[in-house]
Amino acid sequence: MQGKMYKTSETVDFIVVGSGAAGGIVARELARAGNSVVVMEQGPRMAPEDFEHDELKYRYLSGITNNPATNPQTFRNDPGQTAQRTAGRNPLTYARVVGGSSAHFNANFWRLHEIDFIEGSRLGPIAGASLVDWPITYAELEPYYTKVEWEVGVSGLAGASPFDPPRSKPYPMPPLPVKSSGVLFERGARKLGLHPFPAPMAINSVEYKNRPACIQCGLCGGFACEVMAKSSSVWTVIPEAEATKRCEVRADSYVFRIGMNRAGRATGVHYYDRDRKEQFQNARAVVVCANGSETPKLLLNSATNAFPQGLANSSGAVGRYLMFNKGGGVAARFEHQLNEYKGANVTRVMHDFYDSDPKRGFYGGGGFDARSGGPLTWGQDVPKGTPNWGSGFKEYLESYTYWMTVSGHGTSLAVETNRVDIDPDLKDDWGVPAMRVTYKDHPDDVKHAQWQVERGAEIMDAAGAKEIVPREIGAASGGVHLLGTCRMGNDPATSVVDKYNRTHDVRNLFLCDGSSMVTSGRGQPTQTIEALAFRAGEFIAKFAKANEI
Amino acid sequence: MEHPSPSRRKFLAAIGNLASVSWVSMNWPQIAVAAQHMGHGTADTSAPPATLSTLSAAEAAEIDAIANQIVPGGATPGAREARVIYFIDNALGSFFAAQLPSFRQGLADFERGYAARHGAGKPFSAAPEAQQISWLTEIEKTPFFMAVRRLVVLGLIALPKYGGNHNDVGWNMLGVEDSHVWAPPFGYYDRDYAGFVPYPGTKPYTA
Repeated sequence: MQGKMYKTSETVDFIVVGSGAAGGIVARELARAGNSVVVMEQGPRMAPEDFEHDELKYRYLSGITNNPATNPQTFRNDPGQTAQRTAGRNPLTYARVVGGSSAHFNANFWRLHEIDFIEGSRLGPIAGASLVDWPITYAELEPYYTKVEWEVGVSGLAGASPFDPPRSKPYPMPPLPVKSSGVLFERGARKLGLHPFPAPMAINSVEYKNRPACIQCGLCGGFACEVMAKSSSVWTVIPEAEATKRCEVRADSYVFRIGMNRAGRATGVHYYDRDRKEQFQNARAVVVCANGSETPKLLLNSATNAFPQGLANSSGAVGRYLMFNKGGGVAARFEHQLNEYKGANVTRVMHDFYDSDPKRGFYGGGGFDARSGGPLTWGQDVPKGTPNWGSGFKEYLESYTYWMTVSGHGTSLAVETNRVDIDPDLKDDWGVPAMRVTYKDHPDDVKHAQWQVERGAEIMDAAGAKEIVPREIGAASGGVHLLGTCRMGNDPATSVVDKYNRTHDVRNLFLCDGSSMVTSGRGQPTQTIEALAFRAGEFIAKFAKANEI
Repeated sequence: MEHPSPSRRKFLAAIGNLASVSWVSMNWPQIAVAAQHMGHGTADTSAPPATLSTLSAAEAAEIDAIANQIVPGGATPGAREARVIYFIDNALGSFFAAQLPSFRQGLADFERGYAARHGAGKPFSAAPEAQQISWLTEIEKTPFFMAVRRLVVLGLIALPKYGGNHNDVGWNMLGVEDSHVWAPPFGYYDRDYAGFVPYPGTKPYTA
């Protein structure tokens, strides 16, 4: 499957911890620049034919995600409470395979807008939140957004949305074919004077970079793409990194501590191999791309005498400012069949309400899309007033193909007490101290989500829906967009990494993934994570060449 | 593998409509293999469980009767015809084994309550339909009933290899066709879509 293999006793130029959206890109960029690279991945390496259309396994049995039975977490709302293990899946869920969460994402690829980077100075301060500017601007990141679209592969229609930020190139592929949900969403939104547009998706609409077009199987989110049409790292940048003959992807390798020497430099990583035997890989530098939950966990579990609060944590910000993407939406039933189980999940998006508007009386903004879910997940819940068993329930089940969803995806404010840290008692199956999650929605996030529910209902009403079911806005108890926990900033006293993703405290330790994000964006963070990864990879390679690591 | 199965032929035909001929000829063996592992249609060679291995026959009869009221048969098949009971038996003996003790306790409470109300002579499963519905209405908020309901829905719609969804009864009920490849039009509303019309002041452009 792969060529280059390194011995643990060899000192490689870089270890990249994590093989997902960011890790794959960083590894490719560093390897192409001439560096020796070992990518450490907790999970297994799966071939296309290993992925199944099995909703039960992937949605309910942690088929490719972190499993609460072996990788447990605890949760609480307030720091004063004792965190408890929760029933069902972990509060913070991510894919634990080569490719990481890029293997199972829905593939919605939205760029941030210019405003996302400067909301702190434009809209802050906000009580109870830490809304600050990014140390970089949209203009600085724009070339890397373009790089993602062309190097990784994104389909879409440039310039279609009046709210699109400036771009230097169009998408390399046309948009995916529209589904009935997209047509109805577009119809309703246009009637209201809004501006829906073809969804930018990291899914091939035509053959691209030797990968086929989407076969429209309908199972994107939560699943991996067995024909490699979805632009997941495992099918895109990982093979390209390996093609350099300088990069080894080491699957089933669970990094639990970063090695440090007395000079305060990282020396490599301690990890458990596939036989759960402890190993140590030597390296000149370490880049952690393990996601917004595992990255802070690794730093906090790597405390030493010199770094008693965890590595790179002189600011105390490691693990803090955890953000998801709160949002609200509706389900709607129409007269004729939509068959939403067919086709890529999202085909129309709308950004009219992207910016926060002080007139609403709360902070928050977001985008909307028309989407669908798999039948197994859909069948579990019924709308209010619909029988949940008996002949009335059966009639509801028979209506599955007549339904669609409008989903609002919005902001979550950074709150200092919302965080990932280490549970004082719980350990995982490897004996590694487990993560504890503390999270409570900022009141503005809840208000904005409820506001989105109302907008979604208006759009579906305008589209002629026969029945509209508003989604209830509950308190967040976890998420899959794991953001902000090692925030980027210029000030070492308040941030963890600098604008090049280097930790302020450890010169040869870099972090790049959702944890770097300073604000949450509007719901689809992966393209930004990948743009940051291309940028970080480029700069880290330059630093290495100039002997500045 | 010399003679492609019907589902594989269908799959390759659909792929041919969507990807370039050269790409398919280069890569189709891998794609075809992938398709066969999707768990759809004839892809699954292992027979789904069709005997009880965890629940006793008496327990299974009671659960099956409850399932038959949660998603009743009639003009079209329901949970019983989908053989959801084999899914539940399989689940409680394997991936949901941790739930088995509380599930059994819940069933015992269910039967005790039923006997107290309607007499111990006959089990719930032997009762007339109206009596079954009446009793289930009384206990529909209990954790046990909710657990059975959850398992029934899972068993109805999950892949047939887990024991339920026999003959695609669940998918047929929902209107889901058993395939893993689709091409537009997908539904009623995208059939006559005229194409995206740009907004005034915008200039959409492509590569």
